[in-house]
Amino acid sequence: MRVNAFIISLGAAALAASSALAQDYPSQPIQLVIPYGAGGATDLSARALSNALTPILDRPLVLANRTGAGGATGSAAVANADGDGYTMLAARVGSHTVNPAMKETLPYTLDDFRFVGVYEINPVVCAVRAGSEIDSMEALVQQVQENPGTVSFSSSGVGSMLHLAGAMVLDAFGVENPLENATHIPMGGGGEAATAVLQGTATFVCTNSSALASFVSNDQLQPIMVTTPEPLEGFDAPTAASLGHPELEQLVGWTGIAGPADLSDEAAEAWGEWLEQATQNEEFLAYMKKIGSQVDLMSPEESVEFVNAQYETFRKLVDDLDMRVE
Amino acid sequence: MTFMDSLAAGLALVLQWQSFACLAGGVAIGVFAGAIPGMSATMAVALTLPFTFAMQPIFGILLLLGVYKGGIFGGSIPAILIRTPGTPASSATALDGYPMAEKGEAGRALGMALYASCIADFISNLSLILIAGWLASFALNFGPPEFFTLIVFSLTIIAGVSGDSLLKGGVSAILGLLLATIGLDLVYGTNRFIFGSTDLMGGLNFIAVLIGLFALPEIFSFIHRPKELDGSVRRLGNDHITFADLRHSFKSIIRGSFIGVFLGSIPGIGAAPSAFLSYAEARRNSPNKANFGQGEIEGVAASEAGNNGVAGSTLIPLLALGVPGDVITAIIIGAFMVHGLQPGPMMFTTNTDIIYAIFMGLVMSSLILLVVGGVAIRGFRYIADVPRSILFPGVLVLCVFGVYAVNNAIFDVAVMFVMGALGYAMALFKLPPAPFVIAFILGPLLENNFRQAMLMSQGSLDILARGPITWFFWALTALAIALIVKGALHPGEEVEQEVIASKSAK
Repeated sequence: MRVNAFIISLGAAALAASSALAQDYPSQPIQLVIPYGAGGATDLSARALSNALTPILDRPLVLANRTGAGGATGSAAVANADGDGYTMLAARVGSHTVNPAMKETLPYTLDDFRFVGVYEINPVVCAVRAGSEIDSMEALVQQVQENPGTVSFSSSGVGSMLHLAGAMVLDAFGVENPLENATHIPMGGGGEAATAVLQGTATFVCTNSSALASFVSNDQLQPIMVTTPEPLEGFDAPTAASLGHPELEQLVGWTGIAGPADLSDEAAEAWGEWLEQATQNEEFLAYMKKIGSQVDLMSPEESVEFVNAQYETFRKLVDDLDMRVE
Repeated sequence: MTFMDSLAAGLALVLQWQSFACLAGGVAIGVFAGAIPGMSATMAVALTLPFTFAMQPIFGILLLLGVYKGGIFGGSIPAILIRTPGTPASSATALDGYPMAEKGEAGRALGMALYASCIADFISNLSLILIAGWLASFALNFGPPEFFTLIVFSLTIIAGVSGDSLLKGGVSAILGLLLATIGLDLVYGTNRFIFGSTDLMGGLNFIAVLIGLFALPEIFSFIHRPKELDGSVRRLGNDHITFADLRHSFKSIIRGSFIGVFLGSIPGIGAAPSAFLSYAEARRNSPNKANFGQGEIEGVAASEAGNNGVAGSTLIPLLALGVPGDVITAIIIGAFMVHGLQPGPMMFTTNTDIIYAIFMGLVMSSLILLVVGGVAIRGFRYIADVPRSILFPGVLVLCVFGVYAVNNAIFDVAVMFVMGALGYAMALFKLPPAPFVIAFILGPLLENNFRQAMLMSQGSLDILARGPITWFFWALTALAIALIVKGALHPGEEVEQEVIASKSAK
């Protein structure tokens, strides 16, 4: 990774020297920090975006995975970076709405970032093991209420979207004290969380549709609800709205690009245009469709509104259920 | 489609020059990336992934599998030559590989690493083809309680890598367990030992710890006493592995391969514990027990067989269940999905041709690894001839560069130097580093699985003995402890070991 970056920056240095009189931004390579590991959902999405951005930018985009603490390490690094537009972040639902809503000790808040655009939405699906006696949301809720403690849900860790999603869904369906009546079992990652349901460690999981797609098409897991307004292709399950809970449509994954709070207007405008063009790229669109996410570019204002609305929803839930992590 | 039809279709897919080119190219990329400290097999696979999007599915998948296999083997090259494990899985290889290089047997150690890797890889691939379905359904029985008992058993291997003193091994392991607790805990997300630093929230970077612990102490002791050490020129990178060597270690290679196959088929364990378990088993069964850690070729064979045995069988949960066993297979699942393929039981009926093509490609990959790896070690082994005064500064630069690359964080480089100082202090007190590494890898797994099991059972310990698998591992643990106690009560061998240890103490 660094080898590439090094060669790229060498090349870029040479370029910069020869054409220093071009426009002001970007005049050097831009680092895009991915706060999660290589091969994860954020990583794949950001890499696909960078492939689409490369022909548009006349400076290299250098991707850097800075993992740790559920996305907090990389996010904090960008929050504290210069606002010159050369350090940007691939922000994610986990690092930017769930974590700030849940974690008391998080070294940043939403105000430390300036969003230039949310470009991707991932539908959330709740699923149980195929052949399980619990085969609908109704049956799940009934089981929790009649036999408290027998239902559990897996997540990719404390303060992950999956953690919050499990609690939010049960809460919406009227389960009281969902975190006491159902058990949250944190696993090491999204893949492990799905596997835990498959092999019986947990009863259900609510996560991005892409993480469940292959299990569902193989009849290993059975979807019981999707949170999109429209039914989701490949997932034979009712929508949250059709079950009478349109408020669960707030529960979606997303990826967006953000800079530090003092990001220059020039950089923010440039990024707005680039994202506009990149999200028209057909290869990019085809790829994103295949991995199960919906490309939906929001303007900076829409992005901020969307992220804040989701944050407020989550924050309220966390307060109601006393889920704060200290 | 009948079996023969699918087989023919698979053959038609795989018998194209592009398949060979992709496999060979992948293995070459993997070996090279694995040989750069800090550039792990995972990273190499992640970086290759975007290039596969435009290829035909089978070529893309074979390319990634090649990178994976090459990467796992490539890690052994710097482990042997400069005591810097290229990937976490090759840290066990450094235990005996580096002392062999010190004695001027780098060529022999590298040769053994290659042969052991290829044999284990081959066995692992065959297991995937023959018993994937059976192993996969078995692996699904592994929930947190079963994992917990497996890890408890694995911790007993600490005794096998403690060298002359079990007490010192224990101290080293406890240090490892302690440092593994730094960061956010899994179940409640509490900050532990981070002293207000955001960099510590994610815990200590594993590669930084590994390189700091293994590679830097060598360099520090060279700075400390340059004259003494520079006298013994290592050279002799030219010597070869003999058939007798291979026959001598054959049993350990086979045992290690099956340990790898077994651990690889269970999602979530990975190659490093397998390498250590295989190493500890080889030592326990060897007549040359005392020579382990001093440059015993069987140790190199066992470690490499253990970690490469995992390479084929991690595809068992991937292909048979659609479950990623580790980070690398998670990335490979991404490649399947991009091409519209959904790994899992259905794939065996809907895309049989691809499945058979992958199987045949895998079998070929073992052979290709043999060829490409042979070329690579021919080139790399001359590093052993480089005088230390030139080699070590180069190693130091590589270490800094590699550790920075993992996470693009200068903080990790600082962690590496602190761990280097710790490793040097440990070396002065003759505390072996291997128990530290094992504890550091297994500690979080032990804790997380225990706590997950407790969540499942609402705090009842009964769940830790809920079925035959847990009983089996408790019995194995009891047996292992009994053997350790027996060894401690009859310290005949230990004295012998100490004599050898003090002889070869540098």
